[in-house]
Amino acid sequence: MPTVTFLPGFRKTELPSGSTILQAAQQAGIHMNVVCGGLGKCGKCTVYVKSGRYDFDREKYGKFFTPEELEAGACLACQTSVLGDVRVLIPEESIVQEQKILIDVMGTTTELNPAVWKYALRLSPPSLDDPSPDLTRLLWGIEKSGGPNEGDIYAPLEVIRRIPRVLRESGWRVTATVVLVPGGYRLVDIERGDTTPACYGAAVDLGTTTIVVFIRNLIDGSIMGVASNYNRQISCGEDILSRVTFARKGGLKKLQALAAESINAAITEAANNAGIDRDHIYEVVVAGNTIMTHILMGIDPAYMIEEPYVPVVRRYLTAAASRAGLEVGENSGLFIFPAVSDFIGGDIIADILASGMAEQEDISLLIDIGTNFEVVLGNRDWMFACAGAAGPALEGGEVLFGMRANAGAIEQISLDLETFTPAYRTIQHTKPKGICGSGLIDLLAELLRACIIDRTGRINTAIEHERIRSGRQVPEFVVAWKGETGIGKDIVITENDVKALIMSKASILAACRTLMKQAGITHAEIARIYFSGAFGNYISKENAITIGLIPEVPVERIFPIGNGAIEGANLVLLNRRKKRFLDEIARKIAYIELNAEPSFMDEYTGSCFLPHTDLSLFPTVEEMLEKCRLRRGVP
Amino acid sequence: MTISTLSDWTGEVGTVTIGATKADGGTRSGTVTIGGERDLAFIGNPPTGNRPLIAYELCDDPSLWPAPVIRFLGDRASDPAEWARFAAGEYRPDLIRLYLTSTRKRGFSAFAAITTTVENILQATGLPLIIEGSNDPELDSEVFRRIGEAGEGERLLIGTAEAGRYRSIAASAMAFGHLVIAQSPIDINLAKQLNILLREIGLPHDRIVIDPYTGALGYGFEYSYSVMERIRTAALKGDDDLAMPMISSAIDSLTVKEVREADPSASDRTSVAWELYAMLPATVAGASIVCVRHPSTIQPLKAAIEALWSPPGGGA
Amino acid sequence: MALKALDIYKLLPKKNCKECGEPTCLTFAMKLASGKVKPEDCPYLDENVREILGASTRPPVQRVKLGVGERSFAVGDEIVQFRHEKTFFHEPGIMTAVSDLMDPDSIQAVVADVRDHLLVRIGLDLRLNGIAVWSASGSPDAFATAVEAVEAVAELPEVLMAEDPAVQEAGLAVCGNYRPLIHAATGDQYREMCALAVKHGCPLAIRAPDLDALAGLSGLCTAEGVSHLVLDLTSPSLHDMLNQATAVRQQAITRTAPALGYPVFLDTRPCGLPDAALICGVLKYGSVLVADPLSEASRKALLVLRQNIYTDPQKPIQITPGIYRVGSPGPDAPVLLTVNFSLTYFTLQGYLEASGTDSFMLIVDTEGLSVLTSVAAGKLSETLVRDSLKEFAVPDLVKHRTLIIPGYAAPLSGKIEDETGWKVLVGPRDAADIAEFLEKEWT
Repeated sequence: MPTVTFLPGFRKTELPSGSTILQAAQQAGIHMNVVCGGLGKCGKCTVYVKSGRYDFDREKYGKFFTPEELEAGACLACQTSVLGDVRVLIPEESIVQEQKILIDVMGTTTELNPAVWKYALRLSPPSLDDPSPDLTRLLWGIEKSGGPNEGDIYAPLEVIRRIPRVLRESGWRVTATVVLVPGGYRLVDIERGDTTPACYGAAVDLGTTTIVVFIRNLIDGSIMGVASNYNRQISCGEDILSRVTFARKGGLKKLQALAAESINAAITEAANNAGIDRDHIYEVVVAGNTIMTHILMGIDPAYMIEEPYVPVVRRYLTAAASRAGLEVGENSGLFIFPAVSDFIGGDIIADILASGMAEQEDISLLIDIGTNFEVVLGNRDWMFACAGAAGPALEGGEVLFGMRANAGAIEQISLDLETFTPAYRTIQHTKPKGICGSGLIDLLAELLRACIIDRTGRINTAIEHERIRSGRQVPEFVVAWKGETGIGKDIVITENDVKALIMSKASILAACRTLMKQAGITHAEIARIYFSGAFGNYISKENAITIGLIPEVPVERIFPIGNGAIEGANLVLLNRRKKRFLDEIARKIAYIELNAEPSFMDEYTGSCFLPHTDLSLFPTVEEMLEKCRLRRGVP
Repeated sequence: MTISTLSDWTGEVGTVTIGATKADGGTRSGTVTIGGERDLAFIGNPPTGNRPLIAYELCDDPSLWPAPVIRFLGDRASDPAEWARFAAGEYRPDLIRLYLTSTRKRGFSAFAAITTTVENILQATGLPLIIEGSNDPELDSEVFRRIGEAGEGERLLIGTAEAGRYRSIAASAMAFGHLVIAQSPIDINLAKQLNILLREIGLPHDRIVIDPYTGALGYGFEYSYSVMERIRTAALKGDDDLAMPMISSAIDSLTVKEVREADPSASDRTSVAWELYAMLPATVAGASIVCVRHPSTIQPLKAAIEALWSPPGGGA
Repeated sequence: MALKALDIYKLLPKKNCKECGEPTCLTFAMKLASGKVKPEDCPYLDENVREILGASTRPPVQRVKLGVGERSFAVGDEIVQFRHEKTFFHEPGIMTAVSDLMDPDSIQAVVADVRDHLLVRIGLDLRLNGIAVWSASGSPDAFATAVEAVEAVAELPEVLMAEDPAVQEAGLAVCGNYRPLIHAATGDQYREMCALAVKHGCPLAIRAPDLDALAGLSGLCTAEGVSHLVLDLTSPSLHDMLNQATAVRQQAITRTAPALGYPVFLDTRPCGLPDAALICGVLKYGSVLVADPLSEASRKALLVLRQNIYTDPQKPIQITPGIYRVGSPGPDAPVLLTVNFSLTYFTLQGYLEASGTDSFMLIVDTEGLSVLTSVAAGKLSETLVRDSLKEFAVPDLVKHRTLIIPGYAAPLSGKIEDETGWKVLVGPRDAADIAEFLEKEWT
């Protein structure tokens, strides 16, 4: 079998001839960028084959590379088969990197009502006078310590098997752990001596891209440890649809294992940091989108992406954590957030819980932006929700120099409106390699203010300026000259990029407006806009309004809630009473299918304009743009 | 009578005057004014605003023009000036609309001919003119400059600006004092967006006429009809960026299957029916200028508009 | 005016009991607002609320049915002033006029023509609807003879146009069981006409000098027990017909004059411009239109206009996806891809036929969206193209591997090439340019 050696680092792996370099990388544990799921369409998995025999169709995929790059051996990892031993250089940008991941110290306070109790018991040994069995003796002990009635506690076989030995070896001094699950109380563990202080739970945000884990002390609610990492499923496809496709082709088991593995890795890291034993984690609460949670539970998601888009499960799910492959206490509980539909998953219910909008009388609008977006409008009495595809542009995808929020991404930018000279800030302050979502939103707003683009996003090539040029196919604006970048080429934004961004933002605004119309609400009646997700924390609120990504409201009414999913999961972990409330939220939501809503396309074309065709919806933006036009001397 | 139409509109369609007489620095024998409506088309005693007008369409290269018209006209179609003179004299449309179809031939470069053609038409008729230029961005700037220059002072209505190519035509209109047709593909949002774009590069609203694009009867006409109704009601509700008069031309009317395959003896009748049954509805939906290609459509269309316009007793 | 979902929701019990079949009260409110369910479907509404909701969700224009059997038709039930606000539901019936001065043979020729004339478009049968028998002689016998002549040829819906109750009665004696429209009751004789309408169970047209009088007469007739009324707004002035019909529709749907909440009858003959009057009747709220026999050209245009205006604007007419042939294309013929929006299909087909190039049209399923919107909405995608090529066995039809796509789909060209392996030619954006394009690019 050929050996593939990855440079730098000389990681080696062996696999059958004819396998792709991507498969080799996966086998070697290197997580590569595979935006398109390995179809040879995105060009993000570039590698340089330095030596060896391999097969790659340069004719077909040459368009992704410059002649110099081809000369240097550039290939797409997903389309290159290994025929003999090869040495492959993986450039930095092809590896999935540490991303800015939001870890919020939870701002919301809640009552501490966890579903886990530990009882330190001193039991009297049995005697001829007191011959009651071990289990009864233990459960009575729990009842006498203020726990649930003996008859109400279910003891699983695995725990019963350990009882006689632990009781006797410990001299009848043990700690019993009881967890409240939907079926009732469950004895999940018995340990020697007094371990009551070691009582923990884990809150998990199972995202398509990233996984965040919080370990909480369930006695005082404190945060013990936090960790995050990539969802390892990324090696099977970047977006959710390619995951489902992968699952369909017999990959469900692998995806399930990768999901569990990713969560385990994060839990282990957090536990190690906190210096605690994973076995003392008694409950794991997971919020994730419907497809992710289905996959974690090993439920086939294939039918959810076809009409009529029906998920297998909507209600919340519970099981023993070990059955999903999670490496925590053997009998620990696993709680999965409920969903509304296949598009409105537990992550959104968690957002709603975290925002508090379901408890308020005022009307709020909650927006969760990713490649797919979700919008919820409502208050404590009613809620409308919808979801749609915004395309990857706002996350840097399908934009020539777009990138994720990794080191070197321009995350903030402004233009001198006279000279068009940009001032930008990159993540980790390195030389720029590309532009991430927040930077793209800034850029769009600034190009509009500078009158470089018109409201449909066309670059005005009549302006004579070195940064405005005709480009290879469409006009473009130079954001950073070759010399100042970290990639050795000019970083530009093209007219097509601008249009892709406008189409993305239009879907989101149109979704907001469709819900508002459905409810008969004007933007003046929206008391709060909650921005969920990493994205919301870094974007400029003013610029988001300027380009019409969200309805215009005074900026002080906009609240980034950070990672609402993890916050919601934490709330539920600490306060079991919220679980019932979750179902109530899920029941309250009326899901609007945008594709079936005739006015949606109308709202969409109206929103494909900066900021919107109905300028009266954005009064302060209009005032500001008017000033900009006057300053530029455009009548 | 107390029960009548409910006219609680707040907005008004702007007026646009096409053509310039000697007094205004042009050579037209009269000018026409469209727009000014404060209610739905033909509603009110008398109706508000100005009576809808009929433009007769012709071109400078008849090879792409509908066969029934060419058959009807014979040789006259080979000379646009003669064609215009004949149509204006015999059929009395309110305006002439000239399509410079010659510019749509591959490799067009006879820019000087544009100037000549426009000048000849101006001489052939005293009616206000609408001129349609190229539809190739590569040619636009030169073509529209030529049209603008040749018709300087005549307050022509020139077309067609679209969202992707509006700068050249607007520049010519502003430089030479003309008006612009702003065309968008059957969508109220796109129509409004284009008007905003034109306003923002300095073309005032009273120099824009909206062309919402009109599908032929049976080939999407209903979409155009509804978009026109929506544009008109938006204007009446006070949306200034849609408060321009509209022009409607179902340019495919005479090439649709029903007309193409009509029995030769019924060709003219079918042509007239297909134009009349699209253009009269267009006026009811709110179009201020409707366009036809078969000369015989002009008379019945005019009579119908007149009957819709005039309250009994000859009111207005 | 129509209530919003939230306004309705506030009136509901908010029990989320699911007994109405909806998951929540809010979804029930949404469906009620769009007329998909009825207030009665909620078992917990109190009578008062049901009344309020019923009044605001019931169609403001009374439904009226004419004729019996296969060719019978209903009008009314309309809820909007402009078709883009929702849709117009019931297209007007076009009634060809015959008079009792005509000899029976001529009458029967007209009736047979109305019976047999058929225009098929987009898979739908378009027909004229019925016969209006006009009492020109004033004689009951002549009228009865004319009605008999009509009845002898076809079971078509009829309008009996005779204002003398004796003449009307003579006509009804012949066809009163077939639900003809009685035309027309006036202030002078409405009691007798109402009695006839009640006796025969027929709808009744009413006529008055102005709208106030008409509203009054409508009240009188309903008091006489006739609820299926039709308002005659015929006038020699086209301007007046349009204005009055507009007023009636506005008053009805805003529920300001519920006495005018009935379909409209227009006789297009007195104004002397039959085409124009029919056009206005179709566009602006006519429900029963009377006209003299039309030329074939006018008739066709009229039927197509009516079909256009009464198409639901929210449900574009779709074409079944598949391969369609223009002429007799061979293995070298071009393959042109487009969407299954009927308008796009017919337009392209028309231009292809006109171009004289034998070709294949590959129609893919974009759920009736146009090219521009389906590209924007992601409905037209490279995978759809790939699957459609396969599904319709296009590789077996042609020797070449070149696909012509619409100009507006240009952004997909690369992806389609990658996904299908076919070479992609980006065609013109406007189908009108297809002949020129094929001449240039397809040799």
